[in-house]
Amino acid sequence: MINLKGIKKSYFIGERELPILKGIDLSIEAGELVILMGVSGSGKTTLMNIIGLLDKQTEGEYFFMGRSVDGLDDESLAMFRNEHIGFVFQQFFLLPYLNAIENVLIPIVYSKKNIKHPREKARQLLSKFGLADRIHNRPSQLSGGEQQRVAIARALINDPDLILADEPTGALDSKTGNEIMELFRMLNNDGKTVIVVTHDPKLAQFGKRLVRIEDGTISEDITG
Amino acid sequence: MGLSLKISQVREFLQETLKILFYYRVRAIFSLSGVALGILSICIIITTIDGANKKAYEIFEALGPDSIMIFGGSERQRMARERVTTLTYKDAESIERINGVYDITKAYSVRNLTLRYKDRKWQTNIIGSTENYFESYKWNLLMGTVFKKDDVLNVESVCVIGYKVYDELFKGEDAVGKTITIGKLPVRVIGVLEEKGGAAGGPNIDDRVIMPLSTVTAKLSNEKRYLGVLRVKTSRDVDETIEDIKSVLRRNHGIQGDQDDFTIRSSRDILQFMSVISGSLFLFLGTASIVALVVSGFVLANLFYLTIQERKKDIGIRRAYGASKRGILLSFLFESIFITFIGGIIGVLLSLLLEGVFERLFSIPMEFSYKVVIFAMLFSCLTGTLSGLKPALKASRIEPIEAIRG
Repeated sequence: MINLKGIKKSYFIGERELPILKGIDLSIEAGELVILMGVSGSGKTTLMNIIGLLDKQTEGEYFFMGRSVDGLDDESLAMFRNEHIGFVFQQFFLLPYLNAIENVLIPIVYSKKNIKHPREKARQLLSKFGLADRIHNRPSQLSGGEQQRVAIARALINDPDLILADEPTGALDSKTGNEIMELFRMLNNDGKTVIVVTHDPKLAQFGKRLVRIEDGTISEDITG
Repeated sequence: MGLSLKISQVREFLQETLKILFYYRVRAIFSLSGVALGILSICIIITTIDGANKKAYEIFEALGPDSIMIFGGSERQRMARERVTTLTYKDAESIERINGVYDITKAYSVRNLTLRYKDRKWQTNIIGSTENYFESYKWNLLMGTVFKKDDVLNVESVCVIGYKVYDELFKGEDAVGKTITIGKLPVRVIGVLEEKGGAAGGPNIDDRVIMPLSTVTAKLSNEKRYLGVLRVKTSRDVDETIEDIKSVLRRNHGIQGDQDDFTIRSSRDILQFMSVISGSLFLFLGTASIVALVVSGFVLANLFYLTIQERKKDIGIRRAYGASKRGILLSFLFESIFITFIGGIIGVLLSLLLEGVFERLFSIPMEFSYKVVIFAMLFSCLTGTLSGLKPALKASRIEPIEAIRG
């Protein structure tokens, strides 16, 4: 599903080139649950941004579901993200002026997919995640774990092919964090492709595959 | 499906904007009131100026475009409110003979005489004039009749009273046929004039009594030689007639050079005067209110910059989930225009409210029209667009990764 070939990414500080990714080759198949692990500064977040089409590589090729996405312009990238990728972030990023169900429905606003009864679907997702009685609460009235579950429901509402989670447990206590990881495992069992980016070695146990990033290259890729 | 989808999207867009405005309501209220006050002042100015123009035109219409007023005393003396009588009956006769003059109304007024009816008292000006006075001023009667040529010839003690006088002395009773005393002279009321309504701050034109000129000069003032005002109507060009009147009066008064001891006004002067006043009003007040609106536009833009900083993550998440740069630009621009649009509506409504109060309290005539509403709404939307454009552009340029990282 995801095919990265010789991905390099550098930032330029004045004349000086600062390489972040130094040639990544990575293939992820549909239905995988991948833990992308690396310490801070390893380049894992940059890699995630490139996989999530939020950033562009300096060199290399990226194929998403067999299609090259390198030449897409801003508008097409936005549509592509909307159609194929569901994001989950460390800080949840729920909009403060919308309640839980309205937050879940955000991707629908920009969606060209014909999702049937999106409101009903959002309600079902929230109920499935144990938030049936929290549907009309604002983010400020929800706990961290609840907020992250709303964010995951938001990531799922538009039926994406890929769930991309960046340090999803980073702002949560370990018990709640484990619950969230269990949730990802459950989604994966239902057939979703999930990539979780983290620095936390304890999360490795939740994945089926562990990809370790070190200093801009893949140092380890274990399936099992 | 296409259309209904569009409609539901627009509705969602609107609902979301409302939620955003409610959530950031302090900012919304500041922005709204800034725009509302700016629009309010613009509305008030336009309606006041329109009202003044309308009033001026009414006066012009009432006087007739062909009428000329001649007063005793020079421009300077009139400005100083000195009362100088220089016009004589002989002058009136000479003017009557000028080519084109078809009507002349002579008047002489006596100021501040006390009127009595039963135990009620009222002090006002008495105007002595000829029988064509009422026709010349296009003034209709509320009740009774006006005096005729015979009344002037026979020096009859009759009068026609203005509405204000009627109200003060008779308080709605029937006045026709009743006798009042003016000074010490008993006078029979034969008619009451229709109410004309006064201009703001000026003398109330309904506060007057009109009597035959002969009666006033013989029984109230003992002034046999001079007249106060002459009103002339001409079938010729007004300016040419004025030139003729000037030369006749200069000859009669033995004036050399241009030290005139009389003043001539035409309806056109009144219109010109009003247009100068409303023009300068428009210039000063208009500038002030546009400055106010521009300032509120700056405030709006500033608050918008702040809110973009605050909503950076909001923008980031929307971009990640499929909002394009254009979409972000449009939604912020929409928000800005929405605020100013609502502000504009509030401003217009407030001005409607204030208009009633102003008219009642200060009797300032105001003319409210669609023109004002359209102008105000266009202007407020323009403010919204201009002040929202730059911040919205900035918002649209925020890259999702920088928003999410920060």
